[in-house]
Amino acid sequence: MVDREPARSVSVAAGQDCLVGRFDAMASPCEILIESDDRDEAARLTRIAADEAWRIEDKFSRYRPGNIVARINASRAEAVEVDEETAALLDFAATLHALSNGRFDITSGALREVWTFDGGDGLPDPQAVRNVLLRVGWEKATWRRPFFTVQAGMQIDLGGIGKEYAVDRVAGMLRDAAICSTVVNFGGDLAVTRAPRERRAWRVGIEPVYAHEGRGDTVLEIQTGALATSGDARRYLVKDGIRYSHILDPRNGWPVEGAPRSVTVAADTCTQAGMLSTLAMLEGYNAEAFLDGEGVKYWCRR
Amino acid sequence: MNKPLLASFGIATLLALASGCSTMGVEPWERDILARDDMQLTADPVEAAIDDHIYFSKEASSGGRGFGGGGCGCN
Amino acid sequence: MTDSKKSVSATLAAATCSLLGSAPTAPVQAQEEPSWDFNTALLYYGEDNDRVQDLSLNILGKRYFVDDRALTLGLTVDTLTGATPNGAIRQGVPQTFTRPSGSSAYTIPASELPLDDTFKDTRVALSAAWEQPLGRLWKTGVGFSGSFEYDYTHLGLNGSLSRDFNQRNTTVSAGLAVARDEWDPVGGTPIPFSPMLDVGDIGNKTGTETKDVIDAVLGVTQVISRNLLVQVNYSFSNSSGYLTDPYKFLSLVDGVTGDTITRVPAPGAEGPSHEFRFERRPDDRTKHSLYTQAKYYMGGKVLDASYRYMTDDWEIDSHTLDLRLRWPLGERSYVEPHLRFYTQSEADFYTISLVDGVELPAFASADYRLGNFDAITAGLKYGWKTRSGSEMSVRAELYRQSGTIPGELLIGNQVGRETYPDLDAIILQFSYQFGW
Repeated sequence: MVDREPARSVSVAAGQDCLVGRFDAMASPCEILIESDDRDEAARLTRIAADEAWRIEDKFSRYRPGNIVARINASRAEAVEVDEETAALLDFAATLHALSNGRFDITSGALREVWTFDGGDGLPDPQAVRNVLLRVGWEKATWRRPFFTVQAGMQIDLGGIGKEYAVDRVAGMLRDAAICSTVVNFGGDLAVTRAPRERRAWRVGIEPVYAHEGRGDTVLEIQTGALATSGDARRYLVKDGIRYSHILDPRNGWPVEGAPRSVTVAADTCTQAGMLSTLAMLEGYNAEAFLDGEGVKYWCRR
Repeated sequence: MNKPLLASFGIATLLALASGCSTMGVEPWERDILARDDMQLTADPVEAAIDDHIYFSKEASSGGRGFGGGGCGCN
Repeated sequence: MTDSKKSVSATLAAATCSLLGSAPTAPVQAQEEPSWDFNTALLYYGEDNDRVQDLSLNILGKRYFVDDRALTLGLTVDTLTGATPNGAIRQGVPQTFTRPSGSSAYTIPASELPLDDTFKDTRVALSAAWEQPLGRLWKTGVGFSGSFEYDYTHLGLNGSLSRDFNQRNTTVSAGLAVARDEWDPVGGTPIPFSPMLDVGDIGNKTGTETKDVIDAVLGVTQVISRNLLVQVNYSFSNSSGYLTDPYKFLSLVDGVTGDTITRVPAPGAEGPSHEFRFERRPDDRTKHSLYTQAKYYMGGKVLDASYRYMTDDWEIDSHTLDLRLRWPLGERSYVEPHLRFYTQSEADFYTISLVDGVELPAFASADYRLGNFDAITAGLKYGWKTRSGSEMSVRAELYRQSGTIPGELLIGNQVGRETYPDLDAIILQFSYQFGW
């Protein structure tokens, strides 16, 4: 994935009685569905969305040398002063860490050194995992606004929040920029800027987990709010008939047991939807019970 | 009108249309208006069935656009 | 997560609010797409002068499955009341008729059009249809229809096949339907041309009768442009069996005066005051129709225009022109004015009365619906989409039928007194479409 550098271009085409702006960002196909037939307006809105998505990608991707994440990851136990936006994300990460009793942890980036989810059967050596675990743990980092200090060798990874955050940021900008209803959809994590007026609702399909499921999509209708999906459709390992989800429990370095294949959650913002679906996956066997207890609408596949 | 003549005329019209129509039409991406609910040939099947039933009961002609539904002992 | 219920969501909501710098503008509204599409309508049809009134409830439900397969189920319930012309001519004196059941009689005042108000009927109709694609370009469908009233039953099957050509710009379709209908008239089926008998005398009544119908349709649908779609259909229909109306009859008249021959019921019995003969229609009827329809989009408005020509071997020819214009009002509602013009020429065995003492014709019926008339429908429909995405509409229409009796059919005093029973009817419909 590090090798992929898709061209940063934007296009607008006609969709199912709406216009669709497309571009690639954060390793996902991104589309903006626009309830309008004004192509110039659609191009303007898509440009706004793409610019913001690329800005966030450049700033917070762990693959961009020199950005704030790279500087933190190379900081060797020295305090790094962060800007307002990064500070807000770190505050959020702190809250999520407490809320999930440690299951959600942005300092777990080092685990990717031993885990490669390519569909094969390459499970890491348990000792190697234990070694890496020494460099994982939010409690080992120090966050005193605006200074963030991580242990030497610790790697932060904002991949678990980044895309949903970007969707909500872009949705907010498009809400201010236009009165027509739009859907900001970054690879399945999406938000609606305002209720559509020319149709009952925007129709979205939940991708089947297995490619061979064909056209058996569940179709959801959404008028307002957001949807986010956590799933392991493409990133997993299988060994001895056991499927290992790519959702790792940072407390022990191993995949969460009994995680559903995919969870789609509906919430007011994409960030909330994304966090709830991630927290549900981290609950493993109790994913549905957790979501039922929270009273949120969800669709779960096992 | 001569009945067999009419039947042949009807079928000939259809065949002529079908063959002469090979160059007419739109590209798949130009079907936006045609996809609208109100542009369907039978936009409201219930209303069409109601009207068909009323006129079948009060006049001597019926159908035309197809069939489905069936008869009744209407007076 | 051992936190109490909903506290994770609440904390998360607050944390997100801080992160994004603002609260969400609207609570989420998302649900699974409804599986069923329901289209329902309540209809009132009422003719003037105490004639037929009909109230019906129509429900159609459609469910889509994977790959554009669909199941459609339909239910109609309607109740019919009111009177209908029985086929007898007016007279200058009151006339008494035996009811179809044979159990009582009714009298019509002098100079009034004789109407039989026996009919209070409830009908239930069911339909089921399955459609599915066969490969990429073919589509097929099968269906069943059934209709049940106390004196009439219809059962039918239909099938259709269609194929797309020219990038789906052209579609050729063919359909076939067969039906078996059964009459079980109140009081039995009268022997055609037999006289109307006294109350309690069922000597001329027999049992049930059946009718078989075959319908075939061949059609071409063609996309003309981005805004224009056209369809042409040729239909063939053949009915065989009992095609007569068991409740209708003709007056037997004097060949000079044109007045109905009088009659006296048997002593102590009630019965007809005049001579009437039950009607007789051929046992076969073949119809051909050519139908064409166009839908034209004009900057938001949609014009729906259709024309049908029908001809059959009963010598009936008809022309129907139907025009509708859907005119959007704002984003959520529309008005749709509607005009329909219809004209038909009479059946070759249509007549006003039978002449006494003359050889009877092969077939005869005075049913006004086989006569020579024009009809106009004028209506207005108003429809709107609700916030939840359902659609509702109301429509009100006036239907007027006015006909002429061919001069050569009128004899003696009938001239000037006997006129085609013009019809004025109102159609009111409320319809509601929703998903579930």
